[in-house]
Amino acid sequence: MSHTLVSLACHAYGIAAVVYLAYLVRQSEALATAGRVLVGGGLALHGVALFELLGVQSGRPVGLAQGFSALAFLLLAIFLFLDVRYRRPVIGAFLTPLALAALLPGLLMEGGQAPLPPGVRQPLLPLHITLALMGLAAFAVAAGVGVMYVLMERQVKAKRFGLLFSRLPSLEFLDTLNRRLVVWGFLALSVTLATGAFFVGTAPGPWTVDGKTLATLVAWAVFAALLVARSVAGWRGRRVAFLTMAGFCLVMVSFLASYDVSSPSEAALRMP
Amino acid sequence: MELICIGLSHRTAPLTVRERLALPESRQADVLQRLAQAPVEALWVSTCNRVEVYLFAPNAAMARQRALTELQGLGGVEALEHLYEHQGEAALVHLFRVACSLDSMVLGEAQILGQVKEAFERGQGAGAVRGELMRACAAAFSCAKRVRTETAIGRAATSMAAAAVQLASKVFDGLAGKTVLVVGAGEMGELAARHLKQAGASKLYVTNRTLSRAEALAAEVGGQARPFEELLGLVAAADVVVCSTASQVPLFTRDNVGALGRGRRGRPLFMVDLAVPRDIDPAVGTLDWVHAYDVDDIQKFVADNAAARAEEAQKAGVLVAQEVARFVKERALREGTPVLARLRQRAEAIARSEVERTLGALGDGLNDKQRKSIEAMGRAIVNKLLHEPTARLRAVGPEGEGNRLAGAAAELFGLLEEEVGTAAAAPSVMAAPVQVATGGK
Repeated sequence: MSHTLVSLACHAYGIAAVVYLAYLVRQSEALATAGRVLVGGGLALHGVALFELLGVQSGRPVGLAQGFSALAFLLLAIFLFLDVRYRRPVIGAFLTPLALAALLPGLLMEGGQAPLPPGVRQPLLPLHITLALMGLAAFAVAAGVGVMYVLMERQVKAKRFGLLFSRLPSLEFLDTLNRRLVVWGFLALSVTLATGAFFVGTAPGPWTVDGKTLATLVAWAVFAALLVARSVAGWRGRRVAFLTMAGFCLVMVSFLASYDVSSPSEAALRMP
Repeated sequence: MELICIGLSHRTAPLTVRERLALPESRQADVLQRLAQAPVEALWVSTCNRVEVYLFAPNAAMARQRALTELQGLGGVEALEHLYEHQGEAALVHLFRVACSLDSMVLGEAQILGQVKEAFERGQGAGAVRGELMRACAAAFSCAKRVRTETAIGRAATSMAAAAVQLASKVFDGLAGKTVLVVGAGEMGELAARHLKQAGASKLYVTNRTLSRAEALAAEVGGQARPFEELLGLVAAADVVVCSTASQVPLFTRDNVGALGRGRRGRPLFMVDLAVPRDIDPAVGTLDWVHAYDVDDIQKFVADNAAARAEEAQKAGVLVAQEVARFVKERALREGTPVLARLRQRAEAIARSEVERTLGALGDGLNDKQRKSIEAMGRAIVNKLLHEPTARLRAVGPEGEGNRLAGAAAELFGLLEEEVGTAAAAPSVMAAPVQVATGGK
């Protein structure tokens, strides 16, 4: 059942991506509405499937495929919120393909869950994972917006008044959106780290720094530095966009390190 | 007498070349006086997008050479590479198109007409625009008026200032809450101020070397006038700067704008330079937080948006063609009439003397009635002989054929030599049939 729903959602996202790319070329309100409906519909189907699946897995995605699937869901949910709030459908031309790219590895890759340290308090785990994924999705959107910023800035600086110049939102809008997303992502990441530290603290045995923890800590430091530089030194624009992309890559490493890609599991095969 | 136009514009010359030819008004008068030595007439049109000389001269080649020397003196040899030339009717069409804003960077923008009118008034003031050039300008202005009322080109078009505001919207998410500085309270500054205010700019400062002009503009558009000495301080506070001063040297350099960076803490600055020569040194745009655009950049921007206006421009082009044709016809009639009048005078004089001679030979043997009959016969022969050529000259109108026929008539009946002699005695340039013969086109 959930497999069919996700497959349908996948198709809806795919068509939405094409529609948004068409919107990039030919701005028409009908295309924007179609894209919105497709993403909304896809999210509804995808949401039902995730709810059903995670319900039986005590609230946490099992395997890389499910992780990516949940990430794509959250990413598009954030996009839909932004689209409804700011009415800049052109962002969809960048984010829907990104969400599809996040879904596709789930179809191709298989990965088992890394073994949890014994004694981790299970009730907090779904919160930890959900927040981690929300932070990751927020950073993914921020990185996508950062790419748009860099592209747009290049057009503005080089005075190239082509398609991107006429379609992309203003530099100020993209920069402000990046700041908001990074703030939300940073909050989610901070709570993720706190709950993670709590697990480690309550687990018996000596604490060792693994790759995932290291990548997460570095990413947190990068985003913390970025937010400080923004508010204190007035950093903005291209520098911030590149830092956001770098930070997102680090969080992505941390995400991938949460899964044991080498050992395929039964659960991973159950979902695209 | 022939109209020629030599010049360069945004279509042919880069900003660096146009800058060199942009003369302050005081020097334009000198150039005009050198160019417009009677009977030559001259008009010097200089805007931020074009520098053109219109000459109405009996010897086109000589006038052309004189104009080229002037242009080369101002802009160097390099300027000559970017020149275009129009002669005769083509020059007339060009003048009309310029006045109608069909050759403008922003198609249909309203400013150019005012600028050509100013150039015309300067020319009149300097005594360089007198007869035919004055009539040509008047016709071009009325054509521009017709284009504006009969096509939508003015409605669809935006000015450079409006294009600048559109560009600003690519850097800022609307102008609400933004501080805008207009440097220079001339016509361009006024337009910019209006558009920026309309676009929702919260704070609008106007500065100008003459504070009273800044105050007048600020009062008109709801901004604040500030003394020119505060210029850099105002830029430090601004988000958008639009400048259009007549300064011959850049007001803003990488150094003086760069020094403001620390205080702005990365806040972007959008600068538009509508002045030629430029007010903003191109190096300012290399600052990370500055987006600087000059008139050529704006041209590039509006060129991409021009498709919507193309249709109206086409309609306007038809109107221009009609108006030029009408002007040429009227001119040919003006110029052609003396040939007819002279031909008639000559014929009547011959008829009169022949009648007198005949009457003298016949002596007193004729009664009054017979005398009158002979006189009437002389007049009738003249009328009948001249009826056909007169009708034909009038019917063929002003185009090439009309001039050719008028010229041929003048030559056949020996009116040319007679007129050259009269013209030398009392130079009435426009009425001389010799010009008709050589073609006034």
